[in-house]
Amino acid sequence: MDSINPLTLFFAAIFTNNILLTNFLGLCPFLSMSRQKKSALGMGAAVVFVMASTTALNNLVFYKILVPLGMEHFRFIVFIVVIAAFVQLVEMAVERFFPALYFVLGIFLPLITVNCAIFGASLFMVIRKYDFVQSLAYGAGSGIGWMLAIIAISAIREKLQKTAKLPRGLEGPAITLIITGLLALAFLAFSGMIRVQ
Amino acid sequence: MKKQVLSVVYMFLITLFFASLVSAVKLMNDDRIERNQSIKLQRIILQVLQIPTGEQMAQEDLSRLFNDRIKEIDVDDRTFYIGYEEDGKTIQGYALPVGGPGFWGPIQGMVGVDPQATQVLGIAFYKHSETPGLGGRITETWFSDQFKNLPLHPIEGDRNIFYLRPAGTGKAANELDAITGATNTSSAVEFFLNKELDHFLKELWASIEETH
Amino acid sequence: MPNLPPKKEIFLTGLWKDNPVLRQILGICSTLAVTNLMVNTLVMDAGLIFTVCMSSLTVSLLRKVTPVRIRMMVQTLIIASYVIIVDIMIMAYLPDISEALGPYVALIITNCIIMGRCEAFARNNPPVASFIDGLGMSLGYSLVLIAIAFIREPLGFGTLLGIRVLPEGFVQWTVMIMAPGAFFTLGIMVWILKYFRPQPQTGEEKG
Repeated sequence: MDSINPLTLFFAAIFTNNILLTNFLGLCPFLSMSRQKKSALGMGAAVVFVMASTTALNNLVFYKILVPLGMEHFRFIVFIVVIAAFVQLVEMAVERFFPALYFVLGIFLPLITVNCAIFGASLFMVIRKYDFVQSLAYGAGSGIGWMLAIIAISAIREKLQKTAKLPRGLEGPAITLIITGLLALAFLAFSGMIRVQ
Repeated sequence: MKKQVLSVVYMFLITLFFASLVSAVKLMNDDRIERNQSIKLQRIILQVLQIPTGEQMAQEDLSRLFNDRIKEIDVDDRTFYIGYEEDGKTIQGYALPVGGPGFWGPIQGMVGVDPQATQVLGIAFYKHSETPGLGGRITETWFSDQFKNLPLHPIEGDRNIFYLRPAGTGKAANELDAITGATNTSSAVEFFLNKELDHFLKELWASIEETH
Repeated sequence: MPNLPPKKEIFLTGLWKDNPVLRQILGICSTLAVTNLMVNTLVMDAGLIFTVCMSSLTVSLLRKVTPVRIRMMVQTLIIASYVIIVDIMIMAYLPDISEALGPYVALIITNCIIMGRCEAFARNNPPVASFIDGLGMSLGYSLVLIAIAFIREPLGFGTLLGIRVLPEGFVQWTVMIMAPGAFFTLGIMVWILKYFRPQPQTGEEKG
């Protein structure tokens, strides 16, 4: 895909094509980690880093290794292994060189491997035939978009916790889903903002 | 140490097993998948040229019909398809592949035009990555049927050959319905399809007319 | 080996009592993505049922020989392989639907339900029980998805499985086809279920 400007992709991925609010990816950790702003922020930051890196990395792996060998149909397995290995390496590096950071961020890293948004970003990258720079822009943008959504929801949830008494049955996942729906509705308003051409 | 070696060996063996299983399934189905793709393309070409293919035409019949009525020519590194009438001599129309960036990814389609390139015979989009149920609806009949008989030249004063307007608001003959809820896909299609048709009229048509 | 509940109970638990979508809140991503069209939902369901059952079965068969440290990688490998097989089969036999489903078939791999069952059940239990557990969970998932699609497609498109079910004059609720509609529908379902059968919470509610 050579026509789409990476910067446009970047902004589109955050607002108009938010990977969580429009593509429904990354919901499981989203629902469990959005209870508090602090955990949301930590998880979000980790996701941005891993998503940007692995989407770009998988782009290289796909076009430089899998395609020349005619092994595109193994991309599912390879992408997941790359993501798992990358997260493992990052975890080890952070633990060794930035122990303070590890205390804050460390617990989120294993959870990221099963975040379907990260895997999904790589899959979309292949379908849409992005090149390396586009992949990086798309991965980073999607990560930030995900982080934006989870921080927004966590802020709302914290506030709700303090001020509202919810009807029976609504607390927890139900109200989170409905609020996320409202957020998705709000984000639809962005769709006029970005012209692809 | 022994445990680690065992783990590595196990991992290797099990990967080998499953990789072989997957490869086997793929090999068994490769032909079928490829055939599906080429049949699909043939059907699309026949469709946009308004050559009737019947409800449930068998694959062999479709291929035969295709081989009887269609000829491929290459112009300017694009492949065009000439459709002949039943007599095999009169040209019924031309099919040209079109493509461009959709909202999510590249969209590929086929446009059929009449022998004088004055109007569209039909259009079909056959490859895209738009949102299922929204942008993905460009493949639906109601959308592509709108293009039938579309004049291939911009109306007096207009820049575009056609426009996609919010459903139900189009007034002129060249104002078609966009897909409700899929604003981005609709504007992407409007943009690249106009560009492609314009390019065809101005540059490619002359070359095609020359070749026969 | 602790007492295994009877097969029927394992099956029903997955189907309703501990429904993966409505109770455990797992597998949400695909639930929301494909339920705007019933036909896509059914294909997704079939793919998931196959993958969960086969993965649980395989993981269970291998449970005594798989080294504990690498079990998650092995599970991922097994799940990914079955998903690739499903993907190839759909491409070969249902090419139009394959186009429509896009990356969502591949996303079955990260569907938390499959990994969840492998970890929670299959790796500690015999094959037949694991298969049934997988079957119950995946059918529970399928029923919820079908229920959601049953609401989203008619309200959003006026059709069900492509057949018109609402009168022509009905103004489509386009929001139902899009993301927000999915969130709302699922949220309300979770709410209704919780309202009628509240889960015992530690310290907050009495049983």
